[in-house]
Amino acid sequence: MAIKFPSLEFFQELARRMEENAAEFEKLGFCDTVMGVKVDGDTPHLYALTFDVFDCKDVRELSSPEEAELDFTLEAPLPLWREMFESIQKNGHPEPTYTLNSLSHVGDRMKVVYDDPEGHDKLYRFMATLQAFMDQASDLEIEWA
Amino acid sequence: MSYYGTNDFSHNSDFNLRIRDIKKGNLDFGWLDEARETVEVRRRDPRRGLTLEDCEVGPYAIDNTPEIVRENRGLAPRGAILAEGAEQPDLGPSLNKKTDVWGYRVQRYWEEAMSRQWNVSTDIPWQDMDKHEIPDDIEIAFCQLCTLLSEVEMIATDLPAKWSHHMNSYFQEVKGFIATQAIDEARHAEAFRKRALAGAGLYRASVRGEHALKGILEADSYSEGSVFLHVLGEGFILTLFRSSEFISPTPVEQRMFQLVMQDEARHVSYGLQHLKYLMDNCPEIRPQINGFLDEAERHLTGLFNPDQLESMIVLGGKGTSPECIRRGIEVVGAFQGKQIEEYFHRAERAGLPERRERSPLLELQQRMIAGVLA
Repeated sequence: MAIKFPSLEFFQELARRMEENAAEFEKLGFCDTVMGVKVDGDTPHLYALTFDVFDCKDVRELSSPEEAELDFTLEAPLPLWREMFESIQKNGHPEPTYTLNSLSHVGDRMKVVYDDPEGHDKLYRFMATLQAFMDQASDLEIEWA
Repeated sequence: MSYYGTNDFSHNSDFNLRIRDIKKGNLDFGWLDEARETVEVRRRDPRRGLTLEDCEVGPYAIDNTPEIVRENRGLAPRGAILAEGAEQPDLGPSLNKKTDVWGYRVQRYWEEAMSRQWNVSTDIPWQDMDKHEIPDDIEIAFCQLCTLLSEVEMIATDLPAKWSHHMNSYFQEVKGFIATQAIDEARHAEAFRKRALAGAGLYRASVRGEHALKGILEADSYSEGSVFLHVLGEGFILTLFRSSEFISPTPVEQRMFQLVMQDEARHVSYGLQHLKYLMDNCPEIRPQINGFLDEAERHLTGLFNPDQLESMIVLGGKGTSPECIRRGIEVVGAFQGKQIEEYFHRAERAGLPERRERSPLLELQQRMIAGVLA
């Protein structure tokens, strides 16, 4: 059954798959961060994903960033999120220009919003885990908003 | 042998007689009678196992350790019973103040480092290298970058190793963390060497870059070395790794940079927390750190050496045609600006907002980088 993007159910499904693929994430190591995902569009959506040890233990939709202590937030318009997930779906992982790092680095197509530099650095400290989390969508049937 | 003990135990008759007596079964059990405070150590989160933070209890906790450690100058772990008088040897640690080395959350960085170790030989998909055709100019540019990064990683291995034995053993968590850094950096040097040798080979060693790196190694104190290496140097290198992931010719190099980036960011975080701890608890050191950074930031521009800059431009633009070079200059200019801005933001958060005003980096950036763009 297709899962709508953006939606709480979409990220809950990625979290469920993360738990299901425990061995992959245990190999990558502890991941402790609260990450924001903002999907810009006619109706913007902001999600807080709480990573704890080897799991994404909580997924919530926020009405404002102040509702959670976010270490950093990745912000991009809906079409870019769509391009990223479609790239992941081509062969299980993103093409070089669609990794989280590439998208958020030169050109800033995806914005990294943060207050504390240590929170910002968590994006890089846990990059392999966060990328693998997004890659869980590789064979998910997605209904685009 | 440069150290001869005050006692030759192999010819000490009291000692020999006592050992012989014990072997006859005459134990005195004096060590069993030492009074110890009972502490409760338990795993707060079974998935993490027993962590260093779980062990921060009673007399063993760093919070219950004096700011200046005077009682121990040997190898005793924090909380152990020390011999009375002057029997415990003096190993001459020079870093005996907590502010000399400590950083907020250092125990967590240790646990993170231990759980996120990886293996260059098996965690990078070397088997996929043959699946991708890389043009010669791109491959050589990439190997030039790998050569510089190997040099950088050498110094980042040596600096923590140089200072570890100067740290009082009561600061075990910091000694442990910088030991993980040494192995991380050794692993990075391994990765860049292997990638270069699997491709076009190693290219030019950097004269200017090595002068900059010498400045890190020759810092007069651990804190100066740490702020130069962890906050300034590794902060810049972290952004360089991010850029290198972005401009990597194939998914093989991309994976390599994803993995090295994680380690590097952890080192930057420790450095930031050490600097913050130092500024919070020893504010009188501010002029010294600022004076040091004035010079360190000048040193660092050596890393913008021409061979490295040109190779990054070729990688960023994906070729050597005029159009590629124009694009490459844009890409490199953008990430160099980011390097400087992120450094100022970290310095500000650690308690040194004045770096943004007094740093030579902005002027140097305008003269060197903006000049290239023009």
